[in-house]
Amino acid sequence: MPMESVNGSPAAHALDLHKAYGTGQAVVNALDGISVTFEQGRFTAVMGPSGSGKSTLMHCMAGLDRPTSGRSFVGGVDVGSLNDTELTRLRRDRVGFVFQSFNLVPTLTAGENITLPLDLAGTKVDKGWFDHLAGQLGIAGWLTHNPSELSGGQQQRVACARALISRPELVFADEPTGNLDSIASAEILSFLRTSVKDLGQSIVMVTHDPRGAAYADRVVFLADGKVVGEMEQPTADSVLERIRLLAG
Amino acid sequence: MWKITLKSLLAHKLRLALTAIAIVLGVTFVSGTYILTDTIHNTFTSLFSTVYRGFDFQVRGVAQFSGPGTAVRNPIPESILPKIRKVPGVEDAAGSVVGYAQFVSHGGKAIANGGAPTIGASLHSKTLSYLHIVEGRAPTTSHGVVMDAGTAKKYHFKVGQQVRVLLFGPPRTFTITGIARFGDTANLAGATMAAFDTTTAQKVLGEVGKFNAIYVKVAPGAGKLAIQRDIARVLPRGVDVVTRQAVVNEAISSINQPLSFLSTTLLIFAFIALFVGAFTILNTFSVVVGQRTRELALLRVVGASRRQVFRSVLVEAAILGLVSSLIGLGLGVLTAMGIEALLRGFGISIPSGSPVLAARTVIMALVLGVGVTILAAISPARRAVRIPPVAAISDSHVVDVSLRRRFTWGASIAIAGAAVLGIGLSNHAVQLVGLGALGVFIGVAMLLPAVASPLSSAIGRPLARTLGVAGRLGRANSMRSPRRTAQTASALMIGLAVVSAFAVIGASISKSVTSVADNAVSADLIVYGKMSSPMSPGFSTTVPRVVAALPGVTATNTIYGHTPMSGQFKFRHSLETLTGVSARHLAGTIRLHMTAGDSRALASGTMLIDATVAKSDHLSVGDTVPVRFALTGRSTVRIGGVYKPNPIVGSYLVSDSYYLPHFQNPLPSGVLLRTSGGSAVEREVQHALAPYPNVQVQNRAQLEHSQLAQIDKLLGLVYALLALAVIIALIGIVNTLVLSVFERTREIGLLRAVGMKRRQVRIMIRAESVILSIFGAVVGIIIGTGLGVALASSLGSAGITDISVPASSMVVFIILSAVLGLLAATWPARRAAKLDVLAAIAAE
Ligand SMILES: Nc1ncnc2c1ncn2[C@@H]1O[C@H](COP(=O)(O)OP(=O)(O)OP(=O)(O)O)[C@@H](O)[C@H]1O
Ligand SMILES: [Mg+2]
Repeated sequence: MPMESVNGSPAAHALDLHKAYGTGQAVVNALDGISVTFEQGRFTAVMGPSGSGKSTLMHCMAGLDRPTSGRSFVGGVDVGSLNDTELTRLRRDRVGFVFQSFNLVPTLTAGENITLPLDLAGTKVDKGWFDHLAGQLGIAGWLTHNPSELSGGQQQRVACARALISRPELVFADEPTGNLDSIASAEILSFLRTSVKDLGQSIVMVTHDPRGAAYADRVVFLADGKVVGEMEQPTADSVLERIRLLAG
Repeated sequence: MWKITLKSLLAHKLRLALTAIAIVLGVTFVSGTYILTDTIHNTFTSLFSTVYRGFDFQVRGVAQFSGPGTAVRNPIPESILPKIRKVPGVEDAAGSVVGYAQFVSHGGKAIANGGAPTIGASLHSKTLSYLHIVEGRAPTTSHGVVMDAGTAKKYHFKVGQQVRVLLFGPPRTFTITGIARFGDTANLAGATMAAFDTTTAQKVLGEVGKFNAIYVKVAPGAGKLAIQRDIARVLPRGVDVVTRQAVVNEAISSINQPLSFLSTTLLIFAFIALFVGAFTILNTFSVVVGQRTRELALLRVVGASRRQVFRSVLVEAAILGLVSSLIGLGLGVLTAMGIEALLRGFGISIPSGSPVLAARTVIMALVLGVGVTILAAISPARRAVRIPPVAAISDSHVVDVSLRRRFTWGASIAIAGAAVLGIGLSNHAVQLVGLGALGVFIGVAMLLPAVASPLSSAIGRPLARTLGVAGRLGRANSMRSPRRTAQTASALMIGLAVVSAFAVIGASISKSVTSVADNAVSADLIVYGKMSSPMSPGFSTTVPRVVAALPGVTATNTIYGHTPMSGQFKFRHSLETLTGVSARHLAGTIRLHMTAGDSRALASGTMLIDATVAKSDHLSVGDTVPVRFALTGRSTVRIGGVYKPNPIVGSYLVSDSYYLPHFQNPLPSGVLLRTSGGSAVEREVQHALAPYPNVQVQNRAQLEHSQLAQIDKLLGLVYALLALAVIIALIGIVNTLVLSVFERTREIGLLRAVGMKRRQVRIMIRAESVILSIFGAVVGIIIGTGLGVALASSLGSAGITDISVPASSMVVFIILSAVLGLLAATWPARRAAKLDVLAAIAAE
């Protein structure tokens, strides 16, 4: 069931998020008052120099970490108001994750890794959906293999399938192609692009690569824990231009 | 390199502590055992020095042959005494009589403290006696007795009161004329003492006209050596004179034997614990080396040599071993007291003074603790040196020794161990049995990785099915590193192997005992001496007469000998225990299953032997065998028949008419009764024997029951002693789990990120732990059962006639192991569940 794109109701949004690490003199404001909205059915890229707070923002919004102040919402639910069990359930049922590396549980096969969130929840696997994802990602032949037998690109594709298997409201991807070559990256990015376009999936992706950002509908630029810019319908060139501008 | 070693040690305090516990506990047990036995030894030594005071020489019968701990000596005629007194330089000499005498309490119970002896003695010359009368006076008539102060205090006896005393002959009532102390102490290691005047003592303890020994004091300034020679000159054949020091030494060595039995027994369990501990250490170090692969590889990259890496691991082990041993030594003192309390709880009472910490204890503790730790670390250290420098930069750094080689070695060691075990069993060589078992354990532990995955998978299947994905993951985790799983389970395997070996032996003894009542005895009632005192060679000769006179009793058969204190004789070249029974009522009271010859041959003065002896000594009916008795000397006896082992009559059986003339003061050790009626007759017998609190009447069911209860008690003690090994094995599991959790931080973080609940994390870890535990338990039980069956079948001569494998106990062991595994997982599971998701993900 593709997600309906309902305008005006965001997949996730943050209000004046602050996140400080350390105390006193050594305090680092990883997030310094960020308010941002990620719309439903859209593919948003988050860019910014290293240390600008991209990962921190994602973690805080997905309920992996708690902000120092400010609020964040996933589909209207105040993430800050949830206790640990509720957060776990939120991650399991409503959010999908793809990390840069170490996405798969080594003791489970690729197929088992994909269905992991459903198994954890004890819900039944939608066979059609599973097959669709596996087919789309071209990993149908690798489902019984262990992660150690898969290439990095294959592993990331399995991770994408896992992120989508529970039909989450939002997928967070933190540099999902950071470790991949350009061909493998392109495969992953096109898949993400397609799932947004065809299925109405909402995706937020952190990336350093302007060509990767070009797959997104929108780019949000961060620097020093603040939102410093935005761009609709980015292209590799326009993104690169903007980065130069921001750096200069 | 030193700095790195130390840093690595300190960086993982937790891991350090957990590994250390395994060694600490083992060393504690070892040093505790030494401290305990040294302390007991010390107590006895000072006691004996106190007791044997005031004389210079002892004159006594030559040892006919030495039994375990005691020599069998004949009494000497009192006519020697005046001759000794006449020897120039002898200031004083007095004859002494020692024998069995047991007080009866006000409540009618035979008094005995634990297993301590109940001594009867003559009260001879004041200067020579070790008894110091502190209240009242020595007896002047044959009705007086002096009681030791300890007994008087504990059982509330006072001078002037009457006390019943159990003796060789009929029990008698005496008047307490005095209370005495042994030298300076009130208590001689729990022994009780009844002292009579010499004539009375001869009558009630020994033989009229005879002494057990004569004590001699020489005049001050006389040449002792010359006097000893002069005394020896007046002695008849078979009597000799020894110095006081020799007597003291003999006394001390007589307790050395039971004491070394105690220490050997405890040390066996201590070594089992240490051995299990070694596996725990081995495992921890393996995991640690695995986890430090990158670090170690980096060291190699920057120029550390293989030797340096090897040494750094070993030095880490040595430091750990040293510190743990020292802690263990300290705890050993406390444990010595603990073991004593434990033994006392099981009815074995031992005297003790202030703890003795001998240099040997310290050395043993340090050598064992450090040695075991270093030995256990060698294999991980070897693995560490095989880490190639490239492992620092590449991810594929699986350094595994060829499994094939490992399995070949494992199989060889296991087979060699089994062979040694078999040789040990057939030759009754305990050391070989232990060595063989050790080999089997090590060999199997080496082979275990081969079956670790399939077995874990099978064990985990029900868990995976019922516990959902958490159970599946736990199962998968237990299968992912067969080597680690095998090593962790090995410790528990050894613990449970020993436990179940004892369970098999216990069950086999129980079953054999049960069949005793059915197969060995046909009597309705069994009267036997309560073996409350090791001095007691039996009970009064009046007992058989008393019961035989009862109207309901249709037949009696009195058993002589077959106790540790009676029936000792030399059969060919070995000291054995003879049993004498009445040939007339044999059939009605004892079931003898003859495999050769006829039991009626007893009546014609031949000896019957059991099948085990016949087989081991290659004897058959008609053979003539040399024998020797303390009293009557050498002789020969013809073998008249061979019977299946029968615990009631032991291995060497003769008729009472053969038995009685060969022994000094032969006493009955049992009476078997046939009765015409049920419980009424039983009550009558009980009533008639009320004046003999040192005998017990039981029907067959009771006999069986009381024997089973005794076995259960002993088995309970063994289990308690083995508990430590199992605890160490569990610590090993805790250790592995904690290390695994640490190692899987990111993985657990990932699971949490994609929606695993804390509860599910805990389930996952617990499932793994339970699988590990059951795995170790199952393999251990299989090996232990085999070991137990082998041991039990080699103990046929010791009365194990039936082999029984207690399936229900085994099931209990497995369930218990699962529960213990669950417990072991508590803390690691909590740690895992508490992991910060983000930190876990961020961890590089
Ligand atoms: N656990 C932490 N403790 C202290 N400081 C932290 C922690 N995590 C992040 N920071 C700091 O917060 C800031 C933002 O970090 P974050 O990981 O969000 O950056 P990023 O934009 O994702 O960078 P990159 O592109 O390198 O991944 C950095 O200055 C970082 O040093
Ligand atoms: Mg980042």
